[in-house]
Amino acid sequence: MPAVQDTIDRVRKIDVDQYKYGFQTEIAVDKAPKGLSEDIIRFISAKKDEPSWMLEWRLEAYRRWLTLEEPTWARVHYPKIDFQDIYYYAAPKSTPGPSSLSDVDPELLKVYEKLGIPLREQEILAGVQKTDASELEEPSDNVYKSGRVAVDAVFDSVSVVTTFKKELAQAGVIFCSISEAIREHPELVQKYLGSVVPTSDNFYATLNSAVFTDGSFVFVPKGVRCPMELSTYFRMNEKNTGQFERTLIIAEEGAYVSYLEGCTAPQRDENQLHAAVVELVALDDAEIKYSTVQNWYPGDAEGKGGIYNFVTKRGDCRGDRSKISWTQVETGSAITWKYPSCILRGDDSSGEFYSIAVSNGYQQVDSGTKMIHLGKNTSSRIISKGIAAGFSQNTYRGQVSAHRKATNARNFTNCDSLLIGDQCGAHTVPYMEAKNSTAQFEHEATTSKISEDQKFYVMQRGIPEEEAIALIVNGFVKDVIQQLPMEFAVEAQKLIGISLEGSVG
Amino acid sequence: MNMHTQPQRTPAETALIDAFGDRLSLLPGDGAVMLKRDDAIEAIKHGLPTRRVESWHYTDLRRLLSVVPDFDPAAMAKAIAPIVEGSAVLPVLNGKSDAKVPAIEGVAVQCLSEKLIDGSIAPGLDPYGSDDAIGALNTAFVADGYFVDIADGAELEKPIELQNVQAGGQTHVRLAVRVGAGAKAVIVERQAGDGAALVSSVSQLVLGEGAEVTWLIVQEQPDTATHLAQFKAHIGKNAKLTLFVMNAGGKLVRQEVMVKTTGEGADFKLRGINLLAGDTHSDVTMVLDHAVPHTTSTEVIRNVVTGKARGVFQGRINVHQYAQKTNAKMACNTLLLSDDGEFSTKPELEIFADDVVCGHGATVTEIDHDHLFYLMARGVDEKSARGLLVKAFVAEVIEELDDETIVEALEARLDEWFVTHG
Repeated sequence: MPAVQDTIDRVRKIDVDQYKYGFQTEIAVDKAPKGLSEDIIRFISAKKDEPSWMLEWRLEAYRRWLTLEEPTWARVHYPKIDFQDIYYYAAPKSTPGPSSLSDVDPELLKVYEKLGIPLREQEILAGVQKTDASELEEPSDNVYKSGRVAVDAVFDSVSVVTTFKKELAQAGVIFCSISEAIREHPELVQKYLGSVVPTSDNFYATLNSAVFTDGSFVFVPKGVRCPMELSTYFRMNEKNTGQFERTLIIAEEGAYVSYLEGCTAPQRDENQLHAAVVELVALDDAEIKYSTVQNWYPGDAEGKGGIYNFVTKRGDCRGDRSKISWTQVETGSAITWKYPSCILRGDDSSGEFYSIAVSNGYQQVDSGTKMIHLGKNTSSRIISKGIAAGFSQNTYRGQVSAHRKATNARNFTNCDSLLIGDQCGAHTVPYMEAKNSTAQFEHEATTSKISEDQKFYVMQRGIPEEEAIALIVNGFVKDVIQQLPMEFAVEAQKLIGISLEGSVG
Repeated sequence: MNMHTQPQRTPAETALIDAFGDRLSLLPGDGAVMLKRDDAIEAIKHGLPTRRVESWHYTDLRRLLSVVPDFDPAAMAKAIAPIVEGSAVLPVLNGKSDAKVPAIEGVAVQCLSEKLIDGSIAPGLDPYGSDDAIGALNTAFVADGYFVDIADGAELEKPIELQNVQAGGQTHVRLAVRVGAGAKAVIVERQAGDGAALVSSVSQLVLGEGAEVTWLIVQEQPDTATHLAQFKAHIGKNAKLTLFVMNAGGKLVRQEVMVKTTGEGADFKLRGINLLAGDTHSDVTMVLDHAVPHTTSTEVIRNVVTGKARGVFQGRINVHQYAQKTNAKMACNTLLLSDDGEFSTKPELEIFADDVVCGHGATVTEIDHDHLFYLMARGVDEKSARGLLVKAFVAEVIEELDDETIVEALEARLDEWFVTHG
């Protein structure tokens, strides 16, 4: 089949060339020795200047981890990971807790510039406001101006800089790296850390609990609507390191926050491990919107290299009428193993999951969600769009369950898959468990290729085939893109275009 | 998915392994068959599947199969009246088939024990995978059943009813049917009895080119019995198989349906109703392989859950890489009528070909209040209104079968269930 050969050639070409974040930066780093032991954990904890309770917490998780086995139920295949062959701590040397951007290694700033994350401009912008004392006193309208994004940049194991901190503080919002939060706000961290994803949760979450090095911490107090979008950019740079970040977001009664994360990594032949944990807590009437654009290095055309993305993300709608919404655009990683979930504990709480997973080359995606209905009158909605091309395998795996007391639980699930090429696979594995007769669950799934009629219709209007496909695919994923904050929606649309380029057979 | 090695055997596992030692000398089979039996009991020695085995996620057999009754040589089961009058009945009574069954034109019938003794059935005895506990259990213990061969072009006027009736103890039965090219038949697989038995029953069906078969599984075990059944079929070129499953009894039930389309133009229809009451645990698991291009399938499953019953439906549609132009659709609808009942469903799609149209839908809900109101506004009391709606919900599936006598017979079974279970 010549068409298929053509596809393979094109896919091969793009997979090597199109990953534009594949560069590597020479930055002096401070590394812990390779391998994992109690000593390494003590080393990490000491480096972070952590209180003793935190070290104990980590050690307990480590001891637990030693008793666990790697999960094998997902539809992903990879050689066994040698957990002793990984650096668990790598920090850019020149930045022992930068107080301002001027302390930050210029090499590092260059990295973020290359990534298109304008830390400096924003810092300058913030700096201008800082000099004006009068504006600092009262939370001016400026603070509530939309369109700006506060950024926390995480480089390998540590958070290098967080912008807009002062402005956020005026509104009462705490946005900082988790290491800082452990030092500055131990009472909040102690109260909430591990309360959604306990240390014993699963193999990778437990590993993360033992060795997590940084991540973001967000606390939005009662009644506060966070004045700007918060975001974190994760960058893996060092060879042989694992990235283990931990994010904790708390929205108190009536609070609202929208948070987005983006990730990239250099192009390497070996596989790198990324095992993050994200915990969200929403109290009464609170709302958290969490968006991800994941673009870790997916490996080359032969499937060599790339990131293993084994992530545990879970939100707890702890309060009544609370709401948590997950939106994800997954285009990167050699292997994705990720199930952002919602525990709908509060009465009338609701959870949402919108996902686009695009896989090309030899990528393997096993992703989905869990909606656990515990409270009364809870509702959840799942929209998942999987697009498989090249030799990739794309699996949706999701669970919806209503417990005995979850009266009037309501769920709607829709997962559609699109196949491009005949060497890839698309799989749907939903689990529905109803233990309450008033529960109402609906699930529908379809799998098909792009209809020839649709393609013909678009091409007939003079649009070339590849663009026609991108157009149809973007229409296919529209429901999800609409859920993303504006800035990311544009990025996500482009990303999908790039990921699929050359996949037309 | 390997069965996990269990550190300690449960009483049920021990009982099965001991029973195998005791029965070995009584089990029919040539060398090849006996080797298969040894392999099968080895698999059981590794432990019955737990919920950690994906295909048994909702039916933890190791935990649920708490008691295994002893073989009971004195148990006497009697043949029952066929559901469609005038059917040719092939009874297996407490695991023993009748050597003197009436002759049916165009059909050759043999007792399965003969096929075991001459070893000709040996290749079909392999379990399909390491998680095939029912296959392994049956292969280890199967003693009898029937081998039915329907000649090419034969068109049977009356249904054949394969009856598996138990009166306690253990029965392990295998029903193998080959349908020749262009042949047409209706086959009823009847699973019934009145004892607290452990039943394993494996049906194997091969459809030749252009054959058309309607296969009805009517399972009405008493609420003390454990019923572990498997239906395996290969559908040849342009052949059509309609499988109807009615599950209306048993304490612990697992009905597996493993179907593969092996010829282009093959068509498979599955229609199922699961009527769950009391504290039954009933699991219907289907794996459908679209292995060649241009094949079609539709599956509709309707479940009614009352009392403390737990229901499971797992349905997986595999579309192989070269099975282009596959058209497969599956729907699983559940009425959950009791707060103590539960229903879990896992409809899966595994697709490796791109030019296909596949879809599945699943719903779980209670009776629509608007429908109830509509009926009650017309003077129907609530109980009758609910009854009407529930019956309509499942009867819809039965009515899809073309044959009127079969529809009537099944509706009669349905009525009987509603009478006993309110």
